[in-house]
Amino acid sequence: MTVQRLARPLTLVLLSAVVLYPLVWMLGSSFKGPQEVLNNMSILPREWTPGNYSAGWTNFDVSFGRFFVNSALVAGLTVVANCVSCLLAAYAFARLKFKLRGFWFAIMIGTLLLPGHVLIVPQFVMFKTFGWVGGDWPYAPLIVPQLLATEAFFVFLMVQFMRGVPRDLDEAATIDGCTPYGVFRHVILPLSRPALVSTAIFSFIWTWNDFFRQLVYLSDLEKYTAPVALTLFIDSSGQSSVGPMFAMSVLSLAPVFLFFVAFQRMLVEGINTSGLKG
Amino acid sequence: MTASRFPRRRLLSGLVAGMLALPLALGGCGGDDAKDDGKVELSFFWWGAEARAQLTEQALALYTAKHPDVTFKKTWQANQGYFDKLATLTAGNDAPDIFQIDDNYLAEYATRNVTLDLAEYQKSGKLDTTKFPKGLLDYGTVEGKLAGLPFGENTQGLVYNQTKLEAAKVALPKTGQTWEEHIAWAKDATAKTGVPGTMDPSADYKAFWVWLRQTGKEMYNGKELGFTQADVQAWFELWKGARDAKATPTADVIHEGNATDVSKQLVVTGKALTSWVWANQMPELQKNTKDQLSVVAYPGDASKQWPRASMYFSVFRGSEHKDVAADVLNFLANDPEVGKILGTDRGLPSNSDIRAAVAASTDNPSMKQTIEVVGELAKNFGPAPTVPPAGHSTVRSELIKAAEEAQYGRATPAQAAEKFFAAAQAAIKK
Amino acid sequence: MATTTARPSPTAPTTGPAASQRRGRPARRKTDGVAGYVFLSPWLLGLLTVTAVPMLMSLYLSFTNYDVLSDWESMEWVGLDNYRTMFTEDPSFWHAVRTTLVFALVATPLKLAAALGVAVLLNRSFKAAGLFRGLFYLPSLLGGSVALAIVWVNMFNRDGAFNSFLSWFGIEGKAWVNDPDYALGTLILLAVWQFGAPMVIFLAGLKQVPTELYEAASVDGASPFRKFVSITLPMLSPVIFFNLVLETINGFQGFTSAFVLSNGTGGPVDSTLMYTLHLYIKGWNEYQMGYASAMAWVFLLAIGLVTAVVFRTGKFWVHYSDGED
Repeated sequence: MTVQRLARPLTLVLLSAVVLYPLVWMLGSSFKGPQEVLNNMSILPREWTPGNYSAGWTNFDVSFGRFFVNSALVAGLTVVANCVSCLLAAYAFARLKFKLRGFWFAIMIGTLLLPGHVLIVPQFVMFKTFGWVGGDWPYAPLIVPQLLATEAFFVFLMVQFMRGVPRDLDEAATIDGCTPYGVFRHVILPLSRPALVSTAIFSFIWTWNDFFRQLVYLSDLEKYTAPVALTLFIDSSGQSSVGPMFAMSVLSLAPVFLFFVAFQRMLVEGINTSGLKG
Repeated sequence: MTASRFPRRRLLSGLVAGMLALPLALGGCGGDDAKDDGKVELSFFWWGAEARAQLTEQALALYTAKHPDVTFKKTWQANQGYFDKLATLTAGNDAPDIFQIDDNYLAEYATRNVTLDLAEYQKSGKLDTTKFPKGLLDYGTVEGKLAGLPFGENTQGLVYNQTKLEAAKVALPKTGQTWEEHIAWAKDATAKTGVPGTMDPSADYKAFWVWLRQTGKEMYNGKELGFTQADVQAWFELWKGARDAKATPTADVIHEGNATDVSKQLVVTGKALTSWVWANQMPELQKNTKDQLSVVAYPGDASKQWPRASMYFSVFRGSEHKDVAADVLNFLANDPEVGKILGTDRGLPSNSDIRAAVAASTDNPSMKQTIEVVGELAKNFGPAPTVPPAGHSTVRSELIKAAEEAQYGRATPAQAAEKFFAAAQAAIKK
Repeated sequence: MATTTARPSPTAPTTGPAASQRRGRPARRKTDGVAGYVFLSPWLLGLLTVTAVPMLMSLYLSFTNYDVLSDWESMEWVGLDNYRTMFTEDPSFWHAVRTTLVFALVATPLKLAAALGVAVLLNRSFKAAGLFRGLFYLPSLLGGSVALAIVWVNMFNRDGAFNSFLSWFGIEGKAWVNDPDYALGTLILLAVWQFGAPMVIFLAGLKQVPTELYEAASVDGASPFRKFVSITLPMLSPVIFFNLVLETINGFQGFTSAFVLSNGTGGPVDSTLMYTLHLYIKGWNEYQMGYASAMAWVFLLAIGLVTAVVFRTGKFWVHYSDGED
């Protein structure tokens, strides 16, 4: 029995040690000076150089904190936009019967399939036509699409979760006089928390890490986000600051890690349908 | 609109074409910057790191101080993604008025009519290039047009680890050694130091190019390849011999060094005693290692090296302020005060007067050495080649691929040469 | 399944106008039609504006020689040339197809297994559970950042950490990341290492499994394995299905890690040249965007087919509590 009791924690500790080793190495390297960061492979620096953190933070005209704020803004708005818009669409797909539902669903899955790199130019041209590019608020091209549930991933995710909710609940609610809007409000919304939390977590993290789109649409140093700013440390043909780059990479993990730890609790507490029994 | 050019097969294609052409139409009637008050905002785009950003901003501020009506919308980023963004902006007819570019892409942009021909300004004297080395200007000319103003001169440099060589009492490499001598030297150095003597540059287009020129060939003749398959094979065989003699590291280490990043050069990571770089990268290389580095020319006849523009500034042909943009370039290239600010950040200043002034005032020893070495070599430079044609970046990556196949022993030099030659021909023809 | 026993009524639906419109099933169907489109409208609007237009444009471009840089007017219609070139004249195309197939077919199942395994281990309330969940998610947080490439290369280089580990057992490792025979393997390992996203989705799915089911099974004396097979797996099947579909698509897309690790080249010697990376190089380094668009649409059709097959098989093993297929 004790062997069994110990098996789980032991497995977890061992697994996490393996999984985390590369990250610990990165943490160690963020304290290495410029002359050893490239050729000292060991996990610990020979000379501790905490200066990477201050150097990275103040490396640009704009403090690195500014990039974090920008990233948080974009990521935060994306979270809200995705949660709202995708939930609405998912409810329609998962629960409501309407003409062409299967057709639209197939189209939605189809939008997941086209490699994004061929869409960048057409999208840029289109957003420019809309007047969204290069305005005072350059984040519009990054956020407005999210308001329109364009991230099919999340719609599909929520559809799958909703389909795991017993339909009896809707029917009971309908018999009690709920319209589809009422069912959405009183049954689906509260039951969708795991799906919403997952969506929030992924939206936040993926936006936090998204490089290409942010690169294309942001042109002002003050408006840059963390992933764009992180590349600024490495000019492959010239000056590179690998140590400060590692330091800021470690720091930029912190907000997403905290976001995750905070929100995953809501996953854990979860809900089970029995909790709703009147 | 553009209907006559589009074979309009379907309603859809017509719609899409209209969609695509719309920004052009809008751009054509906009002109919002060209107000009557004479105020002009130029967009200015470059890649680099923080140090370059500060210098460039200072230089542009100086221009604004002298021309208060002209301000700049400055955008800079790392070279990762730089050309993706530049291409996207160009596609949206939204390219910056002035942008930095290199010889990898200059012909791609110039032959597609993105860049303004600066020759006109050169002729009228508005863009003064009289103090530029002739070869350097030639290296900015694409199909007879001055597509970019060479901003910073550069030439090939063989960087070696002086500390390790001296410690093992190995003679230091000298300019003028033949390729065979270099390889023999490297073999000896490997034996004495335990570190591979030389990086294998068979995947490196600039080393291949210098070597070709020394045999009387060229990388390109206009839009044709300037060499034969037999040349490639001889080049690959030369280095196979070097690898077999243990003058170079193993293939996996060579692969690391084949990345162009300064921080990955083997002389910096301590995995080889010499690396094949551009001479002006010396100061950055030096920063990344404790060992003392030094630089000489590539082996063979050093006069076959050429003044290569480390980068250019080009003006967008669709810019609404072409004259102002040309004037800004003139200022950046020729103003002594700006010269002092920019230093050698983008390469040795193109204007020879400014270069001399910078050389006299620099206190960075590796920069000083670079200027001396390049200056010494420059005295003997023959004519420069033309800018590599469109397709050059593909040729470069195909060379890496083929050379690596030979390095990993997956192909004989002959097979690799055949593959590369075919691929390079196809890339240029596109 | 057992869920039919629960017939709860929602908390507070009986007030307001809704209460006065009690309706039976037929009426509900009718309202659904309108309501369906009401709920769908943001998505539809997004589809018609933000999504469909660029997609159709790229479809159009796939029949042209569009090169990004030239004026749009100089673009020419080339019919099916791009498609023909792809299948008959581009040796890298088939190479990239093979590389992608190997990557997707190996990485996807491994990643899903890792994600499900860890999710099941973590699906218990114990003190450090939250911390562990975070820790296992950490690798995914790195995404495709600059730092990641340097870290991974240093783990799997000749003098990297992995070989130090092997040397404890007297094994001399190779330069894994720089060896054309093994580079794809390190890429697969990287994909598996970043199993955080499907893990989170599994965790969320596991939370949806009604605890009464396990309690009932315990009463019946079912073993943990038995419970896993007959309760967890079926109840989790919609989520497994989701992860399978998405990770398959992701696996075939497989761009970021290949791009980052090979510095955008697909090297050494094309060993990590994934389909999407080849497409990127064609479009963005060689400016053959028409060709790249054609590649993208071939990809869409091929993966669409794979996805359709997965959906078909889903009918046999995915159990939806909503009682629909």
